[in-house]
Amino acid sequence: MENLVYVALFAPLISSLFAALFGMSPRQTFVGIVSSVLLFVSMLASLILAYHVYQTGMPIHVTMMEWISMGDLFIPFGFLVDQVSVTMMSVVTLVSTVVHVYSIGYMDHDKSFNRFFSYLSAFVFSMMVLVMSDNFAGLFIGWEGVGVCSWLLIGFWYHKPDQSREENPSISPSWAANEAFIVNRIADLGMLVGIFILYWNVGSLQYDEVFAALPNLSESILTAAALALFIGAMGKSAQFPLHTWLTDAMEGPTPVSALIHAATMVTAGVFLVIRANPLFSMTPEVSFFIAALGTFVAFFAASMALVNRDLKRIIAFSTLSQLGYMFAAAGLGAYWIALFHLGAHAFFKALLFLGAGNVMHAMHDELDIFKMGGLKKQMKWTYIYMGVASLALAGIPPLAGFFSKDAIIETAFNEGRLVLWAILVVTAGMTAFYSFRQVFLTFDGDERYKEFGIHPHEMYKFVLVALSPLALLAVAAGFFQGAFHDFVTRLLPEYEMSEHTHHLALILGAIVLVFAVGGIVLAYKKYAKGLRRDEKVENGFLYKLLANQYYIPHLYEEIISKPYKMISDLMWKNVDLKIVDATVDGIAKFLYKSGDGTRKMQTGNLSSYLNWMAIGGILLLVVAMLSAMLG
Amino acid sequence: MENILSVLVFFPAIAGLLGFVVNKESARVYGITVAAMEFFLSLWLWFAFDGNNAGMQFVEMIPMIPDFGVSYYLGVDGISLFIVLMSTLMTLIGMMSMNITKNIKNMVITLLFLEMTMVGVFLSLDAIIFYLFWELSLVPMLYIIGAWGGPLRIYASIKFFLYTFMGSLIMLVGMLFVAYIYHDLTGVWSFALTDWYALVLPVSYQLWLFAAFFIGFAIKVPMFPFHTWLPYAHGQAPTIGSVILAAVLLKMGTYGFVRFSLPMFPDASVIAITPIAIIAIIMIIYTAMVAYAQKDMKQVIAYSSVSHMGIIMLGIFAMNAEGIGGSVFQMLSHGIVSGALFMLVGVIYDRRHTKIMDEFGGLATVMPKYAVIFGIMLMASVGLPLTIGFVGEFLVLIGFYQVSPIMTILAGTSIIVGAVYMLSVYKKSFFGPITNEANKTLEDLDVKETMSLVPLVMIVVWLGVYPKPVLEPINNSVKAMLSFMDEKAITQEAKDMIKVAKSTQEIK
Amino acid sequence: MIGLNHYLIVSALLFSIGLVGVLRRRNLLMLFFATEVMLNAVNIAFAAISHYYNDLTGQMFAFFVIAIAASEVAVGLGILIVLYKKQGSLDLDELATMKG
Repeated sequence: MENLVYVALFAPLISSLFAALFGMSPRQTFVGIVSSVLLFVSMLASLILAYHVYQTGMPIHVTMMEWISMGDLFIPFGFLVDQVSVTMMSVVTLVSTVVHVYSIGYMDHDKSFNRFFSYLSAFVFSMMVLVMSDNFAGLFIGWEGVGVCSWLLIGFWYHKPDQSREENPSISPSWAANEAFIVNRIADLGMLVGIFILYWNVGSLQYDEVFAALPNLSESILTAAALALFIGAMGKSAQFPLHTWLTDAMEGPTPVSALIHAATMVTAGVFLVIRANPLFSMTPEVSFFIAALGTFVAFFAASMALVNRDLKRIIAFSTLSQLGYMFAAAGLGAYWIALFHLGAHAFFKALLFLGAGNVMHAMHDELDIFKMGGLKKQMKWTYIYMGVASLALAGIPPLAGFFSKDAIIETAFNEGRLVLWAILVVTAGMTAFYSFRQVFLTFDGDERYKEFGIHPHEMYKFVLVALSPLALLAVAAGFFQGAFHDFVTRLLPEYEMSEHTHHLALILGAIVLVFAVGGIVLAYKKYAKGLRRDEKVENGFLYKLLANQYYIPHLYEEIISKPYKMISDLMWKNVDLKIVDATVDGIAKFLYKSGDGTRKMQTGNLSSYLNWMAIGGILLLVVAMLSAMLG
Repeated sequence: MENILSVLVFFPAIAGLLGFVVNKESARVYGITVAAMEFFLSLWLWFAFDGNNAGMQFVEMIPMIPDFGVSYYLGVDGISLFIVLMSTLMTLIGMMSMNITKNIKNMVITLLFLEMTMVGVFLSLDAIIFYLFWELSLVPMLYIIGAWGGPLRIYASIKFFLYTFMGSLIMLVGMLFVAYIYHDLTGVWSFALTDWYALVLPVSYQLWLFAAFFIGFAIKVPMFPFHTWLPYAHGQAPTIGSVILAAVLLKMGTYGFVRFSLPMFPDASVIAITPIAIIAIIMIIYTAMVAYAQKDMKQVIAYSSVSHMGIIMLGIFAMNAEGIGGSVFQMLSHGIVSGALFMLVGVIYDRRHTKIMDEFGGLATVMPKYAVIFGIMLMASVGLPLTIGFVGEFLVLIGFYQVSPIMTILAGTSIIVGAVYMLSVYKKSFFGPITNEANKTLEDLDVKETMSLVPLVMIVVWLGVYPKPVLEPINNSVKAMLSFMDEKAITQEAKDMIKVAKSTQEIK
Repeated sequence: MIGLNHYLIVSALLFSIGLVGVLRRRNLLMLFFATEVMLNAVNIAFAAISHYYNDLTGQMFAFFVIAIAASEVAVGLGILIVLYKKQGSLDLDELATMKG
């Protein structure tokens, strides 16, 4: 079994290195095929491991080698395959394999085809390190690794020029990539501080040792550690106020958005909270903060999705919103439900994104849904896939999203957090509305694309086949709720609804369903017949506010980026050159000038020399007298 | 080979003298051969080095002026071993990548002399010999900047020389004073560092002496506000000069702190923690901001050096094994990464004869190999895990966290501000469309450049993934030094601050 | 009665006259005379103090000064004559050949 752990972990690395060998040569299809096969191997290994852990209930723990050892600090490369990590491994490898196969078709015409596979597999490797590591430092390796791969992949089309924010809200791929990296780094500092706190209070970074030592720590230390780690999670999972990078990250190729910015990397923050659940369950204030922030982000992101016109950005906002749901669950102590939603969300959101990729492929990279419509004729399968994924996202039974999201909303009610519950219910309605607004605007109604002279065509067959596992899981994952619960609660704390909630479960479910169906019906009425634009609404304050993301990107630009640039310039030109360096030069100049000045004494005139001599003699006399008088 | 250290020090110099009879055409090959032999000698030293022995090894001692206790005294321990290795490696790599045609023979000979002084500084255990090599290292660098530099080369080289020279004179006064006190207390003269270590000084003396040594080392590091010679020196120096300057010469300052200040003046060092940490934090944040404002690519790397040296300074004054060990490792990492970055800047300068970033843009399209190697070095520079840059930075920060969480968070912003200026350099130069016609026909890395850069990339990844062979000897020597400092400290505060690793306590 | 102080005042006055001469005169010959005046002022002081203490060392010293002053004048005048022959002037302002 131990060998399988290494197979699961290193197959993506080998795939990445293999593709990198051909990174600078022109497109070769076999690179994509080899990568996909290696990813498939990794997936098989993960699934076998999952089955093994399921059967035996015993985690597998391997230590490969020592990494850093200095003073009392000892960090090994250790890997832990337990119920939580194996779930993540299965989800990650499964989605990755599908995305790899998909990319063979999607990146078909791109000259950097090989390079793309190298990056994509490197990402999967980093993600596997992140989820499999048995200590916080190892987690951090993966954490930064996925950050870099995300930087590489968002900026994949680095040659595109910068545009103004009005033309392109994310300016350019390279700009968006840098933004993502830097914002994540801000959060990573929090994460590092969390690691430092744990190390100096526990003396180790191994999960088991840290969690075992937690009861001996004071409350303030626990709170500080939990908060610091959560700041790290906020960056990676793009929680408010560090959320702006995620929508800008849509500049990357669509398979990247599906894999990294929907299914896997952005859920790393949720994974961290689940992984460190012993810590978070001991700090109720931090946990409640997480839940409250999650709920807020769920609503906040959904509101921005309501009016957006960009196909991918709508899905990105919905990802943000669903991450909020996951944090709400994790913050309320229902860790297994959070993990369940994480898995289910990965499947249907990846499907949704890849479907959007099909649409983009057909529409020659057009993203504005106002310019689409009526695509269902040309793209039947994509329509079905996206429809199913949207239904799952909206939480319509019996699809996966229904089970997982309903459980989260129910948890909020069960915990007596009625405000959170109400917001989550309303958000569920909004989710249904914006996802079907998108579906109807894209696939139904009049064929607006004809005005732009676009001839859409369906995606390659093999791509559509490759998507089928995701579609299947998006439909069926919900039915495994019971089994999944039994599996992961061996490790994660059990969470059960109270008797009271249990009785009301049907009514609560019905309320959510009413909102969800209501959202879909509204979307159908408004958009299924075609696009009717309402100038009055579009010029309204609220619409503009939402369409501009509450002006937060502008705000960041004005209060952070520009002042930073300005202060930097000031520091260089005024402080460094005019004060620090000028002082040094000033001292040198003073020495030079004083030498230059005293040089004038050397007139060569004996008479003036004699005068100086007399002055010197008198001075010496005065000094002697003074010292005699004072001494 | 018992005299391996003497051989290491003087082989390049003797070879340099012989270099005068080598003809011009083969001077470069001759230089590379000598540097390679020197590098293999230092590798051999590593091979023969006993990693479990924390003390000085391969010690050589020949009295030179017995009446005044001056002796030719060399030795190597875990702290100096890898800095020596890094010096010989970077000289070799620098020589391989060198792209100078004017007076190549003089350059080769100068570099070989410089190598002697660098290795000498890190190996000498006698203060006078140390000082001798320390000052001698200025001369070849003065010549390199002054003879092969840019338009402002005379100003830059004289500023570099006078500034550092002034600092080291004050250090010399400190050294003479220590020797005087040693004579006062024991009745014999000695300049041997190991003798000095045994000296227990009252706190007031320690403070004055610490200050004298501080000025010498701080200017060399260079610490804020003594850093302004550096941008000029780097800006005007030829690529090879910048590589050696950033990789090795700056490390002399931080090495001096570890070798002299900490073990000789433990109480003063503990008192100095807060002020030095504040300076280090200013170095980290302030110079990172200044680097962000630069238009010249080389200046960005130059200022980033100051920022990274701030991290090293912070670690040295963490007073625990994690911090100091991390600092020593960070010295190696910064040497290799900044050396490589300066070489990379040199690559584009050779092609375009400009370093202004606005002139570039879209280089990744025409020079993919160059972009990849630059990208890897960039990531190492911002401290990405599994590259060499992370290990040192992580250890330093984790070490200093024990001293002060708040200051660690402030210093930790280096991972943010570092990313800001490095990524902005990369975006301005490599991303976007090619707007400048001159960039459309640029050649990618040639064989010579690839040959010199790829080994560095390999080291960056190797020591990021498996730093153990390097960390272990460093760890042993640092632990030994800390327990020694702890014993020697007079004040209780100092004893409380100096953290002896648990694993050493168990051995005792 | 003429006491020590009177001698010393005369000596100081003579010395000051000599000093002013050294500072103000531009002619090299006059400069020589001024230094002679200063030396003799010192001699007066030597002799007076020697008498006051009944110690002959001071008067001996005065003789030495006179002897050395004489030889100095001999050498000095020699140089002066050579200089005059060469430059045609003894004005110091015209002799500033070592201006820095």
